Amino acid sequence: MKWKKLGKIFDPTEYKLVGNCGEFAQSPQTLVFDDFVRIYFSTREKDASGKYLSHISFVDFDKKFKKILNVSTESVIPLGKLGCFDEHGIFPINVLKDDDRILAFTTGWNRRVSVSADASIGLAVSNNDGLTFKKVGDGPVLTSSLNEPFLVGDAFVMKTGNTYHMWYIYGCRWIKDVHESEPQRVYKIVYAKSPDAVNWEKEGRHIISDKLNKDECQALPTVVKYDNIFHMFFCYRHATGFRKNKDRGYRIGYAFSTDMKNWTRNDEACGIDISESGWDSDMVCYPHVFTCDDKLYLLYNGNEFGRLGFGLAELEK
Amino acid sequence: MDEGVCSVRFGCCVQRLYPGCIFHVGRSRTALAKYISYQTYIDLKRDNLFEILGTAPNPVLDLGVLGTFDEFGTNPSSVVENGDEIRMYYCGWTRCETVPFNSAIGLARSLDGGNTFTKVGKGGPILSYSPDEPFLLGSPKVKKIEGTWYLWYAAGSKWITNNGRPEPVYKIRMATSADGINWVKANRNLIENKLEEDECQASADVFYFNNSFHMFFSYRYSIGYRFEKDKGYRIGYASSNDLINWSRDDAKAGIDVSEEGWDSEMISYSYVFRLDNELYMIYQGNNFGKTGLGLAILESF
Repeated sequence: MKWKKLGKIFDPTEYKLVGNCGEFAQSPQTLVFDDFVRIYFSTREKDASGKYLSHISFVDFDKKFKKILNVSTESVIPLGKLGCFDEHGIFPINVLKDDDRILAFTTGWNRRVSVSADASIGLAVSNNDGLTFKKVGDGPVLTSSLNEPFLVGDAFVMKTGNTYHMWYIYGCRWIKDVHESEPQRVYKIVYAKSPDAVNWEKEGRHIISDKLNKDECQALPTVVKYDNIFHMFFCYRHATGFRKNKDRGYRIGYAFSTDMKNWTRNDEACGIDISESGWDSDMVCYPHVFTCDDKLYLLYNGNEFGRLGFGLAELEK
Repeated sequence: MDEGVCSVRFGCCVQRLYPGCIFHVGRSRTALAKYISYQTYIDLKRDNLFEILGTAPNPVLDLGVLGTFDEFGTNPSSVVENGDEIRMYYCGWTRCETVPFNSAIGLARSLDGGNTFTKVGKGGPILSYSPDEPFLLGSPKVKKIEGTWYLWYAAGSKWITNNGRPEPVYKIRMATSADGINWVKANRNLIENKLEEDECQASADVFYFNNSFHMFFSYRYSIGYRFEKDKGYRIGYASSNDLINWSRDDAKAGIDVSEEGWDSEMISYSYVFRLDNELYMIYQGNNFGKTGLGLAILESF
């Protein structure tokens, strides 16, 4: 597999966004319409305490990704109420057309004391072509359970027949490291399925084998069916020292499957890596794979976890 | 935060109660004292429940590790015998930034007759949040009735702010299970409100007696309940024939605060049990059980 990089296509610092958001455009994910493509992303503002709040926004492109048609300045989905799982941010959002409605699977964040935050997965529905979303409840549809203690997030959903399939992550443990000022998380990719998008049955296996070590952090699975095979792109990194040390930071990984549940990892085949220089020279992360006009594309974030935007690549094959 | 009572476990000549106990942590002149709660037990003499034979040397259950739902507390609990093991369903507590705490329900098991318990699973809860139960699952009470496991619990519905201080509102709910591990929530409030729309309800204790199901529970106002006697916890009562539809009638509870003494301001977190042909109730008194536990015996029905 070989991806042809088309460069950074959106910089959040150049646009007026929702609220006071002025930087970050993380985890771009698409909704493809007849005449345009809507790319949702998470952007940030600081609250009174100086900490970040992540809000969902979107940018509309023409189907060749040459022209920006619209950038949303209104709220797409509100943050959670006091005490709710998504009170302090929504990042990422995965959007899916489902018959005559549009579903959004959100990862909601809530701040803690002994660790920085926790996360759960929520569900929201849009009846206006994805301009705004209404949550199905104040609480999540997927959260921690006996074997998944915290940090349940990064849902990516695909529907086949009457079954919804979800690939997502959960946190296994928080670790303290002498080189880090705060505890750091370890998370792995897992699978669940549902008949109705609300009640989910978790499978409980780590479906992507570790490559770095047992503390490898895997995130943002994105799946596409192509040539009768399911292809998953995700990002992975070391649990510590990954922010500043390029060699320990996010890279994009790849795995394939014939049944959506059993996956064979093969990062060498993923066909995309950091660039020699520029906006994606330190890390590549938060991938999203989609088809548009019979072409396969990959959206992703670069340096500083997407603080200055996201870019696009097209499959050359 | 409310500290809760207990379940009862029978030994051959010993009655074992599992109340929670509280330790002060990190108290300093300027910082707010914050609590951590543990699960422990006391053994009472079967033919004289006022005679304490012993107490647990250590907490019976460890707190959760860093970042888990029960890192800051494991209380109250409900203890159920299940073949060779004893299961403890408990409320686990963690601390949050914009609200003081959150809680979910965990499961631990004992293979040594109830002396020590270890958590089931890899650190997570057995029952947690869902679309219309966004936070604060607590005061679990579990019973196995004719092959089906029942879990009654309190579920938070909202946080309200009173002079800048967040106060939770929670209602009594129920889930059922074939194995006590995988639960199906009923997803509705079981007990109608009496005091106000934001009435807080917790600690639903259900038992079968005289062809009917009886529930004793605790209820209070959402604001002013700490220091205003009229707003504080009381014990309520409801009855049901099918465990689904409940008729509330608090006047039938048959217990209220005393004129004076350890239970003169509030009573809560009751547990009813049968022992040698008598029906007893254990409950907490003033200051959410800071002063201890007391006993009542059913005189008339």
